[in-house]
Amino acid sequence: MTQPKNLPSSLDIILHEIPGVRMTPKEGRRIRVDSSPDSLPALLELLKGRMGFMHLSAISCVDWPETDEFELIYHVWSYEQKSLVSAHVSISRDPGRFVSVYDIHTPAGFYERDIHEMFGVVFVGSPNLRKFILTSWDGPPPMLKSFDTLGYVNETYGWVDYQPDWLRDVEGKGGGIES
Amino acid sequence: MRPENYSPVQHPPSHEYELYFGPNHPGIEGNYAIRVRLNGDVIQEAIADGGYLHRGFEKLMEQRLWIQNIALVPRICVPDPVPMEEAYARAVEALGGLEVPERAQWIRVMMLEISRICSHLFTFGGNAATIGLYTNMFWGISMRDLFLDLFEEITGARIYHMYITPGGVRRDLPEGVLDRLEATLDEMERRTPEFEDLFFDNAVVIKRARGTGVISLRDALAWGVTGPNLRGSGLPSDVRRDDPYLVYPDLEFDIPTEVEGDALARMRVRKAEVVQSIRILRQVIERLRGIEGPIRCPLPNPLAWNIPAGEAYTRVESSKGEVGFFAVSDGGPKPYRVHVRGPSQMHAVQVLERVLKGGRLEDVAQIMFSLDACPPEVDR
Amino acid sequence: MNDQVPVVGEERPETCRAPDAEERSLWRRVMDQFADHCRSRSLFVLHYCTGCGAVELPPTITSRFDMERVGVSPMVTPRQADLLLITGYLSVKTLKRVILSYEQMQSPKYVLGFGSCTINGGMYWNSYATVKRLDQYIPVDGFIAGCMPRPEAVQQVILDLMRRIDSGQANAWRDYYLDYDTYLGRQAALFGEEWHTPTDVVAEARHYGYFGPGTTGVHTARLKNYTEWALNQIPELLPERGRNEKART
Repeated sequence: MTQPKNLPSSLDIILHEIPGVRMTPKEGRRIRVDSSPDSLPALLELLKGRMGFMHLSAISCVDWPETDEFELIYHVWSYEQKSLVSAHVSISRDPGRFVSVYDIHTPAGFYERDIHEMFGVVFVGSPNLRKFILTSWDGPPPMLKSFDTLGYVNETYGWVDYQPDWLRDVEGKGGGIES
Repeated sequence: MRPENYSPVQHPPSHEYELYFGPNHPGIEGNYAIRVRLNGDVIQEAIADGGYLHRGFEKLMEQRLWIQNIALVPRICVPDPVPMEEAYARAVEALGGLEVPERAQWIRVMMLEISRICSHLFTFGGNAATIGLYTNMFWGISMRDLFLDLFEEITGARIYHMYITPGGVRRDLPEGVLDRLEATLDEMERRTPEFEDLFFDNAVVIKRARGTGVISLRDALAWGVTGPNLRGSGLPSDVRRDDPYLVYPDLEFDIPTEVEGDALARMRVRKAEVVQSIRILRQVIERLRGIEGPIRCPLPNPLAWNIPAGEAYTRVESSKGEVGFFAVSDGGPKPYRVHVRGPSQMHAVQVLERVLKGGRLEDVAQIMFSLDACPPEVDR
Repeated sequence: MNDQVPVVGEERPETCRAPDAEERSLWRRVMDQFADHCRSRSLFVLHYCTGCGAVELPPTITSRFDMERVGVSPMVTPRQADLLLITGYLSVKTLKRVILSYEQMQSPKYVLGFGSCTINGGMYWNSYATVKRLDQYIPVDGFIAGCMPRPEAVQQVILDLMRRIDSGQANAWRDYYLDYDTYLGRQAALFGEEWHTPTDVVAEARHYGYFGPGTTGVHTARLKNYTEWALNQIPELLPERGRNEKART
């Protein structure tokens, strides 16, 4: 089945039923939808039930410290319409709390767990938010923009600049790797 | 000296016990662990435990230039690195508005398909080893090495090629490599019946793999299964066909499916996919002989290469399933955020936990290999 | 016999050490050389894929490069293995398991580091999750540079290790006993002050005769608490301990 030409317009009809939703068709079977946080579960539910967007490809999280927001992007793919809807939601960084969509899309369980671990966002109703990757980590969530990786590495792993005597001699004569 | 070893808790007599499967275990694929709760040898509950291969790729990519990240991305999935390069390159192309020349597109398809064959041969050997057939391991790996030689000739590296760059490929094909690829494909086709006899017609394999680790189509769709595992459950879905990229619309190939959804069906899908990849490669060889031209579009100075602000989500069909890259640029020389979606993030965690439940201990390794889970993809 | 078996918490004079090669009798030296020669020709590699370098091990061991023809073969349990291959970068979580596996191996044991990432972090030099220098945490006999090392490089370094075992030069495992306090301190700095392993390395050092001034120190003093605590948890062990003490007196 090729992509129907009227997909954006039939999507439009659905999206009219939900308040606070804006649609932007993009190139190559991609459709961007901006949604308000409150209407996101309803949006995913309608997309899944009426248009067949049943494959949750990924949930991405982006940290925007300037506006003090986390942007969550739900990528859903339809095996019938052959197109991908990316639903964008912005939530406040403080307290960084959002509702889980696990009961609509089962794969969300892993992605929410991952985002919780890497960004510290709490998904209410998610079945399992235990640590998975960083089980012995006690620092701040590492994917936050405010996390200073180089400082952490220097402090934890004792990173030492390689400065042996022979290199100093070479540098004294005007050579070396820095020049 | 470890206290938990000496814990004086008196357990009531029971057939239930917990077992740590991995990370240091010959049956596990890669550096990964599963905690299984057993009753006799029937699995009551399985809990996946990952993170042993975590390198923080998504954070590292934010700290390096767009061009430097070409070296990082193939390392996300070790047995099948080329789809990662392709997905990243296409994300950058979509953001930066780059056009890939036609010859480069065909070369990329060639690399992707060779990588698919390599990865399937690796899984074929590993899967057989989990049920005690070591000959397949030797045959599969030695066959794969012939393709690795081609990779080495084309890119200079056996495993991590760093060959696909945004806007094209790194360098043109060496003289005569297409003839050698054709000869290798002939050799592969000559050996395919032997593989068939050794594995798919083997009574041990059929007895062990049939009915093991069954995923129904309904479950597969609900749990986010993709790639050969989804096709093994009966849905003919393939990113190459559904969400086409490069020159795949110009190529003729079938999407093999099986309906049983068990470990044997998934391996048969892989076998049929290798046949389809050979078919694609033969078409690519024929077309590449007639196409001349540039292999890369002109790029700006890579050290001061600012990609326009925006976001892009690209999908590629790897040998394990659907690979997705979500890249966000803020107009700077480095990515603002790159999110990697590997197919094994589903297969090795939630799907594996669910499929193992009710299975038996001796099938854990086989089920994991038949799902073709790739731990570095989960941990990133 | 009782002198050979290490007893937990037992105090021994610190002068216990193996005699140098020159001090040994001729017969003993000949036998040692013979044992080294045999050992170098039957290396069992622990099957632990710690990182991406493990993808080049199947080609190394199977038909094309075939390491079995020089006597190298994979082994599934740490206690029966001689050689631990650290195939690539180590996350902190993996390093814990690697140290546990390493301590379970019987001495003499050998460690090889694969790839640039075990030498100084390689391309993950600024990653928050991977350790940068492997030889700070366990002693290493050799490194292979590159990402990733080819099967020929793996063969080369293993042949080199065999040559060094044969001539009695591959002695990095002794450093772990002689400098156990330093190693434990570095491990604890990374894993936290609670870090301790089930293996009694200090007693092993005494057993093998490599108890030096660096074996115990400020960091190993901490381990006594866990030993005492563990012994008190199991009442059955206590009479056993008393019998040992009686036997000594």
